[in-house]
Amino acid sequence: MSEFVQLLISGLMVGSIYGLIGIGFTTIYNVTGIVNFAQGDFAMVGALSAIMFYAAGSPLWVAIILAIILVGLLATLIERFAIRPIGTHVTRGIIATIGVGVVLQGAAVLIWGSDAQPMPAFSGDRPFNLWGTTILPQTLWIFGTAATLMVLLYLFFQKTYPGKIMRACAINPFAAQLMGIRLNAMRTFSFLLSGMFGAIGGIIVAPIALTQYDSGIGLGIKGFVACIIGGFGNPIGAAVGGLLLGVLEAMSSGFISSGFKNAISFVLLLLFLSVRSGGLLGDLEKVGR
Amino acid sequence: MKQQGIWPYLLLVAGLIGLQFSGSNYLTNLANFVAIQALPAIGLSLLMGYTGQISLGHAAFYGLGAYGSVLLATLLGVNMWLAMVLAAVLVGIAAWALGWLVFRLEGHYLAMATLGFGIIVHVILVEMHDWTGGPNGMTGIEPMNLFGHEFYSDKQVFPIVWGACILGIFFAESLVRSPVGLLMRGVSENGRVVASLGASPDRMKRLVLMVSGIYAAVAGALYARYVGYLSPGPFDVGFSIKLLLMVAIGGFAQIWGVLFGVAFVALVSELLKPLGGYDIIVFGVLLVVAVVYCRDGLLQTLFAGVRGTLRLARKSVS
Repeated sequence: MSEFVQLLISGLMVGSIYGLIGIGFTTIYNVTGIVNFAQGDFAMVGALSAIMFYAAGSPLWVAIILAIILVGLLATLIERFAIRPIGTHVTRGIIATIGVGVVLQGAAVLIWGSDAQPMPAFSGDRPFNLWGTTILPQTLWIFGTAATLMVLLYLFFQKTYPGKIMRACAINPFAAQLMGIRLNAMRTFSFLLSGMFGAIGGIIVAPIALTQYDSGIGLGIKGFVACIIGGFGNPIGAAVGGLLLGVLEAMSSGFISSGFKNAISFVLLLLFLSVRSGGLLGDLEKVGR
Repeated sequence: MKQQGIWPYLLLVAGLIGLQFSGSNYLTNLANFVAIQALPAIGLSLLMGYTGQISLGHAAFYGLGAYGSVLLATLLGVNMWLAMVLAAVLVGIAAWALGWLVFRLEGHYLAMATLGFGIIVHVILVEMHDWTGGPNGMTGIEPMNLFGHEFYSDKQVFPIVWGACILGIFFAESLVRSPVGLLMRGVSENGRVVASLGASPDRMKRLVLMVSGIYAAVAGALYARYVGYLSPGPFDVGFSIKLLLMVAIGGFAQIWGVLFGVAFVALVSELLKPLGGYDIIVFGVLLVVAVVYCRDGLLQTLFAGVRGTLRLARKSVS
């Protein structure tokens, strides 16, 4: 029983990270209609640059904030020079974001080397016991950060005026422009936001998992699967999907085999895409033809 | 329709013969890999360029063809050429089945589903130790032989892989010039119009994915026999992305352009060897530049640039 609870907690923890990455996807997709295949690499760059700033001697929280801002700015640059020239062409958008991801990984090897790097936990790494299971303090940080950010983003999109503007850009960019919305500014803003979310996801998970140049690929794909499970374009769906995916993965690696863990999330992906491509909470119209 | 030109073939063959006369083993080896990688790249171009459907999992077909042909030969004890054909047929069937699953989707979803397929196959290659040897791979694969004559060295393999490549180009050109090719382009432009004309766009997509999978499988089988050693490494997502780069540089819907793309990527890889692991930065930048700024491929864009400059020069002279 306690093994089950332990797996559940680690699954929920990893799942919140997937959810955060998934929300990064959602933010860009909801404004530009583009799925950013480099989303996971934002997380990787965020974590590695936070580690670098920390090693350079700045306090941990300063290092983290600097890294988040850095990745946000990087994301806006990417939007301006690699994504905007493409417009709305889906296939070219996919290829361009894949190219950006490859460049980010290469640059990470160049700057930080290919070794996996550790990051200190935010508030010590002395585990405590709860109902017979062992929990790291960092787990609470992950839960707290993920939950806060998800709720804030949901409120932002649903209740605030800028959030509604951003959604309008996704629903009908042309009409939004006629209403006087500056589309390009909104696109830039969505990339800024999404880059920052990605960086936060990468940074809060860094203390419990080493980060290296190719850590982003796995995170990005899992984040996307989270979006698919929950329904693409729906931040709450991404969060729910992430948690579900994290728990299923933890259970399968605990009770079946850890080697097939990655394949299992893809089986889930193919299953959802073919059986219920609108996800649990999404609407089917957007996906199918 | 334009008649199929014979000049590109003659030029290619002349170039290959010239390369043989140069007597360089290094160049022959490089050319062999160009021929082997050109097959999956052309297959991908049929799917992406002509039919407008993205695939990020083509390395999986390539890997299944490679492992499949070797495993079939050893397990069933059949002749290696028969095993190659069997593997290609099986991969074709698998591609058809995959198409039935993934072509309910479009755009991003299709991209991620094919990426998922590619990763699943890669995980299987790594994890099924008993069959594939896991991460260590399989060694001691017999080289190709025909009537007791072994094709072992670079020079011996050269005519076989280039023969397969030229056949592949010829078949692909015939396909895109046939009525089926018109339907493929129709699916790429607007699937609904194709459906309204009484042809099923989904069937077209599955057919092209099958052909494309067979191209990759044959290339994989040749690769296995040529290199004599298989590990999961060359069949990962990185190779799918490299294929994407080759097709993008070639201009997507241009078969000869894609051959140029493959050769270009091979040459750039060789030039970047001293950089070690940093070469992927160059590939990433190339991919972005090719997609964003050279929409008809690198060659066409360069030609257009040269033509534009010449016109300007002529104007300024007169």
